[in-house]
Amino acid sequence: MNRRDLLKAGLVAVAGMVIPLNALEVFDDEAKAAVKAAIEMVPKKRRWAFVVDTRKCVGCGMCVKACKMENEVPFDADVSRTWVERYVVLKDGDVLIDSPKEARYGYTKNDPMGREIKEDEIAKGFFVPKLCNQCEKPSCVQVCPVGATYKTEDGVVLVDRTWCIGCGYCIMNCPYQARFFHPVYNTAEKCTFCYHRITKGMKPACVQACAFGVRKIGMLNDPNSEVFQIVMNERVMVLKPETGNEPNVFYIGLDKIVR
Amino acid sequence: MGHAWRPLAVAFAFILLILIVRIFVVPSDFMAKNGDYKYQWHRVSNEKDWKDFPVGYRGREFCGQCHPDKLEAINKSKHRKVECENCHVLPEAKKSTHPVNLQKSYKYKFIIGINKTRHLCLRCHQKLPYRPSVYRNFAKPVEFKMQDGEKHNPGMPCITCHDVHKASFK
Repeated sequence: MNRRDLLKAGLVAVAGMVIPLNALEVFDDEAKAAVKAAIEMVPKKRRWAFVVDTRKCVGCGMCVKACKMENEVPFDADVSRTWVERYVVLKDGDVLIDSPKEARYGYTKNDPMGREIKEDEIAKGFFVPKLCNQCEKPSCVQVCPVGATYKTEDGVVLVDRTWCIGCGYCIMNCPYQARFFHPVYNTAEKCTFCYHRITKGMKPACVQACAFGVRKIGMLNDPNSEVFQIVMNERVMVLKPETGNEPNVFYIGLDKIVR
Repeated sequence: MGHAWRPLAVAFAFILLILIVRIFVVPSDFMAKNGDYKYQWHRVSNEKDWKDFPVGYRGREFCGQCHPDKLEAINKSKHRKVECENCHVLPEAKKSTHPVNLQKSYKYKFIIGINKTRHLCLRCHQKLPYRPSVYRNFAKPVEFKMQDGEKHNPGMPCITCHDVHKASFK
């Protein structure tokens, strides 16, 4: 090899090394900024949460009526996004649990499970309103085969009616039986925390309808919200914690017989 | 082309067909938000669909625009936490008797009327052994008024003697 050949080969080698270096420079300033924004956007998780004070509930069922009307779930259909359960413990140890017509007409008779019960037979009893728990790890969302149900950034689980194929996996997989088929749309249906109302600064229909202050909604990570105060300072419990779903609905005054 | 390659070509064509159909069928905003395929894999515009759902319950201020006297009366009474629509929305009524057509003028969703049945009052006031006997939603707890519907003047509408908006006798 003479000097000319060496210089030629050297130039080609340097040129060849420079081109790939330029080609690899994907991370220009804009791209870096976008990545950084995405990292910062990983939300300080905004979470809607709900508190149910079962000690105050009288079982009037106005919440169920309000929910069915507001969310256009046919009133006569035996399905509801929220419902009120009645728990009656008898002195002989029997536990009677029922929710006739999801309590949309309220409880006006002492007839748990259709049985005539005398007052002195009853050890204790109470009402427990139920609704979708808007879980942190919703098991209903994970099983959807088409991506029709999802969690929003503020923690509410919604169903896309146009995309749901009605397979019913989510209905089977909800440990709280909070989902059902909508009788008109024939798609999976569930409580949305009245997403159309809370995003406008209103309260959900059931919260507004409750004259007894049983139901409360607020941001779980807003120190000024009533829900934050209750969850942090009072004795609250969630339903079926063993499922690992991490519900965002907290109950005051739960009993071990509540399922 | 060998006999082994022919079915493979068919398989590739099938996959290609699915990929082409996918472009037209899957909405363009179908994505995993924040890269979360587990919980946020969805059509993003559906969030807006739910936000745009029409509001039904308007609350007492809406009714008070035309009925300020009723609003004032109930705000002074012990029924001040009870919303108008709890009692006045009739889920099973077919036709409204309200003089103003709320559906037309305010895009109101429900049928308003007067329910004079005892059952409506008994939803809260029927005496049940497991119904809380103290009302705790005011600053000071008060005794909650309960009656046995089967013994307390059976058959008579409650409004014969009681004024609901004043939560007392007429």
